[in-house]
Amino acid sequence: MSAPATPSLGPEATLRHVLEVFPGAQRTLFRHYHIGGCSSCGFQPEETLAQLCARNGNLDVAEVLARLQTSHEQDARTWMSAAGLAGMLKIQPKPRLVDIRSREEWEAVRLEGAVLLTQTTMQEILGRWPREALLVVYDHQGRQALDAAAYFAGQGFQQVRCLAGGIDAWAREVDGSMKRYRLAE
Amino acid sequence: MHHDALPADLIAGSVQPANLGELEGADAVGTVGNASCGELMRLWVKFKDQDGRRVIDRATFQSFGCETAIAVASVATELIRGKTPEEALNLRAEQLAGELGPLPPLKIHCAELVEGALRSALEPSAAPPSAGSVGSSGPAGGSLLDRFLPGEGARAARARLVYLENDPPEAGPEVR
Repeated sequence: MSAPATPSLGPEATLRHVLEVFPGAQRTLFRHYHIGGCSSCGFQPEETLAQLCARNGNLDVAEVLARLQTSHEQDARTWMSAAGLAGMLKIQPKPRLVDIRSREEWEAVRLEGAVLLTQTTMQEILGRWPREALLVVYDHQGRQALDAAAYFAGQGFQQVRCLAGGIDAWAREVDGSMKRYRLAE
Repeated sequence: MHHDALPADLIAGSVQPANLGELEGADAVGTVGNASCGELMRLWVKFKDQDGRRVIDRATFQSFGCETAIAVASVATELIRGKTPEEALNLRAEQLAGELGPLPPLKIHCAELVEGALRSALEPSAAPPSAGSVGSSGPAGGSLLDRFLPGEGARAARARLVYLENDPPEAGPEVR
């Protein structure tokens, strides 16, 4: 299935607009062009795409837009529904589950068989887990998982997916006995 | 400069990098970069005695994000094996990139990041931390993984978990 059509963007689109259309744009720009992030190498929300490209070695705006679109479509394919994951967990080999939430959240509720991402488990994952294994990253509500998935993909993992809606979606759609929660500052 | 102009070896090196991860029992560790933009590189080095010389036995690295820096670090950590610290410190960014060949202009500073991490590890006094950056540190220092480890960081300490009862479901991303 192809990704949904996205509004057309042109050279005069601001980075604010670009980020609205392509939420993963910052990660894509950094990964492929080393642009974005901090004040020294980043961009301003009101800066246009043409301006950004011009001051970064005259990047081809059309090529950058095409890469943003491609990455956006790849991000969309990264999501896995809670029901889809439940189905995958019934067959062998089971996906490897990586929980990127806080320890407090982990201790409250978690998916069976998951590992909490810590310094130690990250080394274990990078050092020992087969790169061809299906790896499913989940967080609370699906807001941080893509960044972690991109990191793992960048480390050579060939099948990285994210649980859409996080463990909250799992509690709503798969396991009604699992407690739902929110985080209060 | 188009991304597609990157050497194929560079792209391959970033997908399947060598010497990735923390090196247990490392003798030296160097870190350079800026945590807020993700441009971080940490390099571990372990020495051995060989023919009466202290040479690099093995080097490993961690890096976030940039595929060029990962590819260069992958090559560089192989290149410096068997070299003395002095020999390794004499290598410039373009030499560390080695078999990857000339880098596109926009990517040269990615190789310089590797050079900086190596310098930080082998010659810690040469790479003092600057504002907003991470300087050299010992093996007990923090990790690049902090960005992905909310459970280990300050965010977890601030957040309080409150259980819900019969809240309406929230809309998630479109799933295919």
